[in-house]
Amino acid sequence: MDSLITAAGRALAAGDPFGALNRVALRNDAPALAIRGIAMAQLGDLARARTLVRAAARAFGPKEPLARARCRVAEAEIAFAARDLAASASGLEAAWQILEAHDDRANAGHARLLDIRRRLLIGEVDAAERALDALDAGDLSPASRTIAALVRGGLAMRRLDAGAARIAFTEAAAAARQARIPTLIAEVDAAGRLLVTPAARLISQGKDRPILLDEVDTLRRTAVLLVDACRSVARQGEAEIALARRPVLFTLLRAMAEAWPLDVPRDALITRAFRGKQADESHRARLRVEIGRLRAVIRPVAEVRSTRRGFTLAVPDGTEVAVLAHPIEEPQAAVLALLSDGEQWSSGALAVALGSSQRTVQRALDGLCTSGKVEAFGRGRARRWMAAPLPGFTTTLLLPALMQDG
Amino acid sequence: MKRSRADIVREYGPFPEVDAVHGVTFDGRKVWFAAGDHLVSLDPESGRTDRTLTVPAHAGTAFDGRHLYQIAEARIQKIDPESGLVLATIPAPAGGRDSGLAWAEGSLWVGEYRARKIHQIDPDTGAVLRTLETKRFVTGVSWVDSELWHGTWEGDESGLSRIDPGTAEVLEQVDMPAGMVVSGLESNGADLFFCGGATSGKVRAVRRPR
Repeated sequence: MDSLITAAGRALAAGDPFGALNRVALRNDAPALAIRGIAMAQLGDLARARTLVRAAARAFGPKEPLARARCRVAEAEIAFAARDLAASASGLEAAWQILEAHDDRANAGHARLLDIRRRLLIGEVDAAERALDALDAGDLSPASRTIAALVRGGLAMRRLDAGAARIAFTEAAAAARQARIPTLIAEVDAAGRLLVTPAARLISQGKDRPILLDEVDTLRRTAVLLVDACRSVARQGEAEIALARRPVLFTLLRAMAEAWPLDVPRDALITRAFRGKQADESHRARLRVEIGRLRAVIRPVAEVRSTRRGFTLAVPDGTEVAVLAHPIEEPQAAVLALLSDGEQWSSGALAVALGSSQRTVQRALDGLCTSGKVEAFGRGRARRWMAAPLPGFTTTLLLPALMQDG
Repeated sequence: MKRSRADIVREYGPFPEVDAVHGVTFDGRKVWFAAGDHLVSLDPESGRTDRTLTVPAHAGTAFDGRHLYQIAEARIQKIDPESGLVLATIPAPAGGRDSGLAWAEGSLWVGEYRARKIHQIDPDTGAVLRTLETKRFVTGVSWVDSELWHGTWEGDESGLSRIDPGTAEVLEQVDMPAGMVVSGLESNGADLFFCGGATSGKVRAVRRPR
């Protein structure tokens, strides 16, 4: 390495992209292009950053595979930040193998972590969690360790585990201080605030109020039959009944849980479960069948009783019933949840992340745009979407359950 | 061209507070190495570091018998090793693309890394007197018994090269083992070379081939 590359590299490592650019802004040799690209990425000009890092990879010679692999990881990370999910996956595995073969453990770990974050975003939560457990934090740089801890905290939040999330965010804060990168410290602070931001709504005995993750945690330990609409499960203590694949049963259960201890009229159940159709005799017959199925499924935690005008939930004395719902409920919530990460997305990337067609995503975006919830920039293929910020609500919880649909 | 494998006699470090070694020189008793924002002296007998001078130190280091020379950013600093003060500064010939530094016969010799060049310059003005074009990327530069040696490091390949000071023809090549690199180079004036190990944070003593 030469003198200015060393100096610029030290500036980058200290989170000073301007300091790095001052030293190599006019240079076009391979390491200078790489440093300029990473500096531009830190400054948020992702398009320029990608061009530069790609040029750097080409400019490194055939004897420098390690440098090329590092450029490839940087390009993948920039693509990830730009939410170009397909590009962020391509070539990453090959780059990781070169980094491993050269014993560049810090960068190999960084590449792995990037893959984990991408999987998380496209809803491969279990795969992401397994890969995260296999990651050796000892190999990672303080900055990567911060991100790893943030990801672990995010996973804990998805499981509504406030205790584990708090531990992870504390670890992230310690690692961020060690990394001494101001933007990273700010990101950890923001993540920590998610714990004191309403994570869901609790509907119980006719009342509907926002609640914190901690309260969700507490609910799990009390005598409450919790009908969790964030994950489509019914839970009481250790017992958990998954209804994600039986949406009609879940809708019926939720309607009764919201009304508890009162009953719900048959017509109201039919309207909600069978998509607003007028109740006729065939619907009543279908309702009887579905109620019979629900009765069998939820027997471990509750009983469904017939009343004169409809049905009601019966639970043992001393037990209450409550519904845990998304902070925002509307058909486009999944799109909104992805957009609320503050990044700019293309409709194609949203379609990849949601596992649905671009046409469906486009319809959702058009609807959200009309109601002022998202904004569009650029035209044609360059068009990008951003959410108008949703103050006061973390949407982290919106992601996993909605991913299960696809 | 003679070619051999490096005989590594001894490894020093890694040292606390040193994340990389960018340049190496020898003042007759102590090894000095450049560690980013300071210069560190190392006793080659005991293997212990003893003094630290706070000066920016991003690439090559040299010693003229009285003063240390140290590349930082795009300049060469002349440093009093006793006080640690920077006495003078001259522009580096490659404008910051400079890597290695050596002092010999009244001139400074400066490696230009990716351009595969070695510049001979006037140590008072920085004026370029002559430029040698070599075959390999140049890291450290060192003179010993009228032999001109330079470190090479291009991705997976690293080692020491002896070149003809007139024609820059490669006369001899010493290959480092895989995974070890030469980021800085200085002879002890006799049978050893001290080699900076870049981000390994190590300094290695390599036997000079006979």
